[in-house]
Amino acid sequence: MAVLGPSLDGVGGIFEDRPRPTPDVIVFVLMAALMALGSVMVYSSTFVRLDEETGDPTSAMRRQMIFAGVALVTYVASSMIDYRLYRRFPFLIYGIMMIALIGVLFAPPQKGATRWIPVGAFQFQPSEFAKVALIVALASLLTRGARRRLSWRSLGTALLMAAAPSFLIFLQPDLGTMLVVGFITVGMLFVAGSSIRQMLVLGASGVVGVIAVFQLDILKSYQIARLAGFFDQASDLQGVNWNLYQSQIAIGSGQLVGRGLFQGTQTRLSFIPSQTTDFIFTAVGEQFGFIGGSAVILAYAILIWRVLIVAAGAPNAFGSMIAVGMAALLAFHIFVNIGMTVGLVPVTGLPLPFMSAGGSAMIAMAGGLGIVNSVWRSRSPVSDRPEARDL
Amino acid sequence: MSDRRRPDGREQVTNSWRVGILALLFTGALSILFFRLWFVQLAAGPEWLVEADQNIVSSESIAAPRGDIVDRNGMVLATSVPGLIIEIDRSLLPIEVEDDVLQRLAAILELSPVEVRQAVERTGSGEVAALPEFEIDADTAYLIMEQRATLPGVTVRALPVRGYTQGSLMGHVLGHMGLPSPGDLERLPIVDTNTPIGKLGVEREYEEFLRGAPGKHVYRINPEGTILEEIGTVDPTPGATVRLTLDVEAQAEVERILVEAIELSNALKETQEEEDPAETPQPTERATAVVMEVNTGAILAMASYPTFEPQAFVGGIDVDSFEELSERQAFNNLAIQGVKPPASTFKSITYVTAMEENIFPDGVSTPEETIECSSQLAHDFGDDSQHLWRNWTYPESDGPQNLHDALRRSCNIYFWEVALSIWRAYARTDREGIVQEWARAVGIGRPTQVDLPFEHEGILGDRQLFEEWRERQPWRVRAEGWLGGDLMNIVVGQGPIVATPLQMAVAYASMLNGGTVYQPRVADAIETADGERLRTLEPRVLRSVDISPDTVASLRTDLTSVVRSGTARRAFEDLGGLVEVVGGKTGTAQSFTDQEGVFHDSTAWFVGVAPIDAPRWVVAVMVDEGGSGGAVAAPAARAIFQYLLGAGVTPLVAGEDTER
Repeated sequence: MAVLGPSLDGVGGIFEDRPRPTPDVIVFVLMAALMALGSVMVYSSTFVRLDEETGDPTSAMRRQMIFAGVALVTYVASSMIDYRLYRRFPFLIYGIMMIALIGVLFAPPQKGATRWIPVGAFQFQPSEFAKVALIVALASLLTRGARRRLSWRSLGTALLMAAAPSFLIFLQPDLGTMLVVGFITVGMLFVAGSSIRQMLVLGASGVVGVIAVFQLDILKSYQIARLAGFFDQASDLQGVNWNLYQSQIAIGSGQLVGRGLFQGTQTRLSFIPSQTTDFIFTAVGEQFGFIGGSAVILAYAILIWRVLIVAAGAPNAFGSMIAVGMAALLAFHIFVNIGMTVGLVPVTGLPLPFMSAGGSAMIAMAGGLGIVNSVWRSRSPVSDRPEARDL
Repeated sequence: MSDRRRPDGREQVTNSWRVGILALLFTGALSILFFRLWFVQLAAGPEWLVEADQNIVSSESIAAPRGDIVDRNGMVLATSVPGLIIEIDRSLLPIEVEDDVLQRLAAILELSPVEVRQAVERTGSGEVAALPEFEIDADTAYLIMEQRATLPGVTVRALPVRGYTQGSLMGHVLGHMGLPSPGDLERLPIVDTNTPIGKLGVEREYEEFLRGAPGKHVYRINPEGTILEEIGTVDPTPGATVRLTLDVEAQAEVERILVEAIELSNALKETQEEEDPAETPQPTERATAVVMEVNTGAILAMASYPTFEPQAFVGGIDVDSFEELSERQAFNNLAIQGVKPPASTFKSITYVTAMEENIFPDGVSTPEETIECSSQLAHDFGDDSQHLWRNWTYPESDGPQNLHDALRRSCNIYFWEVALSIWRAYARTDREGIVQEWARAVGIGRPTQVDLPFEHEGILGDRQLFEEWRERQPWRVRAEGWLGGDLMNIVVGQGPIVATPLQMAVAYASMLNGGTVYQPRVADAIETADGERLRTLEPRVLRSVDISPDTVASLRTDLTSVVRSGTARRAFEDLGGLVEVVGGKTGTAQSFTDQEGVFHDSTAWFVGVAPIDAPRWVVAVMVDEGGSGGAVAAPAARAIFQYLLGAGVTPLVAGEDTER
């Protein structure tokens, strides 16, 4: 992100000179590449088991490719829709989101949580869409006034708006998603112009909140065990630290160039729970090594950079805030997910954008990025400077 | 910060610098990921790689077929046959369905659920229980595999199973198999508690050779233990073959003769009329015989009755059978564990001592001079007490006898006089125990070191032993300690002396071969499964005893006269002209009534060799509480010699009732 340069004052200027009237091909290509890689990784982690169990080694990959196709279509479609439309119905968006989050609590529990609403052969996960919906709703709220500074009232309203879905998500329970919502909210409040005092108050209430969570025994015992395990990673390798240990074995054994496609024993032989979802990055690390792993991180960096460019150069604050929220969403998912697989962050169930198996997160995020692209496209419908159409 | 006003007139606020800070934050976060990835994959990667390789490999042991046991001619006595065994992995069997599963399994096996439950309970929960006692055929195995879904944790494994070809023949020598006990696990470097090991006999003694080395299948597995693919196989190394010195044919003949001897003993007991009804003997139940090569220590036959079938232990013996066999002491190999006073068979050792040490009765200085074999002997041992020793063998005087006559006629008086001479000359000196020294030299009161487990070393009393007993087991000795009377008992094989038939065989062999004590052994060689010889167990000399050739020649002559005209004359009549080449000595250990008032009849002994001029075989027979040595044991020995010398074996006929 060195492109932003040392002088922040000049940043805006650069953005201003680069109108993007067409869908962002870089974003599209990066997304498609990550989805393709993700599908191959899903295949590499499932074909042995599936072949044994069902005789159909490609079924998980085919499913993933269907999701990827739908996600890409969603991206293009939502970049075509004028994002300003959403500004007219923030309460509608927010209301649908809340209804979906309440509705999911009545769905049959799976793996000890109620996160999914079965839709035919697929599982619809409302909280993934809720993140994007909340970003849009918060962006609308935070840009209603024309002031540079954020009022305490807006701050309070924003926190309440975030708290309601957070609470519902907490009931599922889905701690990871709750933390994403928190991070997105804070990030958006920051860019929306909150003062240092407001940030300090936010920080302080965050600390109080964490203490309260521990004091009030709100955390489930497995969550505490995971946290304790994270701080003593050499302990209980067969139990609470199994994921962490196995995933580091997988990634560590990849070394510089990896063990080769389909040569990773760890991933191929299903050593890691949630291999295709939360721990998909281990498949990259084991099979393609440090080169493959850092290439993926670089791809995400470029993706976030593209979104932040929109945030900085959006035609209006609403669009900018949407981009900020989406950047925060992506960055948090990526950091927590990859950080978790390399023992940097406690185990938290957050999917790796566009790679983890599963449709909801992928489609929701692609849709969100489509909105960001719509913001960028609206900035300058027709370029008067053809030479700038350098894409 | 760049606040901008848009041409559309709406006020817009974009805090670009704040976006920049966010960008810096994200850059930092992704950089941290990058460096952490570098650390895990490149700095610590090699260690993780090792872990990855260990992670996924699991192996399953392939049992090695146990080595054969063959007789000296290669006849197979024990071998490995392919078998099927049920195993229950209790860690895969949920506790709440355990009863159901065991009931279903019992139904398939047509057994009661209780039996199956008991077998499973031998193994702790969470471990693998092997159930070798349930013999299953291929159809049953197929049925179990078919119903695998409803029998979690239950598998059928191919496992070599022990098979014995000869029933109970040679059972004590072969021994039997069984699951390792905690003691076995300490003794042997084994970890598999489900694989039977040798518990007795050759099976135990040569376990390390017979066992072989298990092979293994190496699999890739996932964390649930599901086998994903086989990586490789290490074939098991079959156990080695142990070739015995024993001969199946000779063994069968000796065992048959032994049964006949017991029948003879019982027939005699029935015709016998006891003056004292309290001394009515129990039926004879136990007997043993051993045939050993005099010049190698190789055992040709070793029989002990009652017998057991080693096959009964394959797959686990049932409790009732085991208790019944235990009750009858069927697991005792009496040839190496049955200790009894050797009685008059010991006189040969006293004989050699007298000849070699030149100690004869008072007033006698050569083996040729005679004393009166009177009916009793009175002596005071130098104190004021008067002891009267009755010659129970010859209630009337047996006439004047020299050393040769005394051995032939088994005259106690002569040997007692020898003991008194020793006592007079050496009492309380270091020469006091010369008889015991000679006995110990030829193998009495010490292990023969035979290659079979649980050998009894017997007891050989002397002053030192009595002192030790007084220290540790004071109830075993009188207050006065070792007395001359004890020595008088010892020289005729009574009192504080017990020996096994094998010890007596070794003693006679070494005295008659000129003084070489061989280690007796039942194994001749260790061979590979293909018959290639790995190790020949050469005859092993334990020690050499200095006996003059004259003494050896004299003993040979006198032992021949025992069977020709002495206490075993009648027993050996059926040998005809071959009696010239046989020599031996009878023995009858005194009957007694134990502390619980149970009467124990005399124990019959015979130890002899053939051919007498160049001894090749030594035969020791002991019929426990079987009566007179001359009447019962000697005829059995005669039949064995008939077999060994190639004469037709004639039925046993009671010999003279001697030494009673």
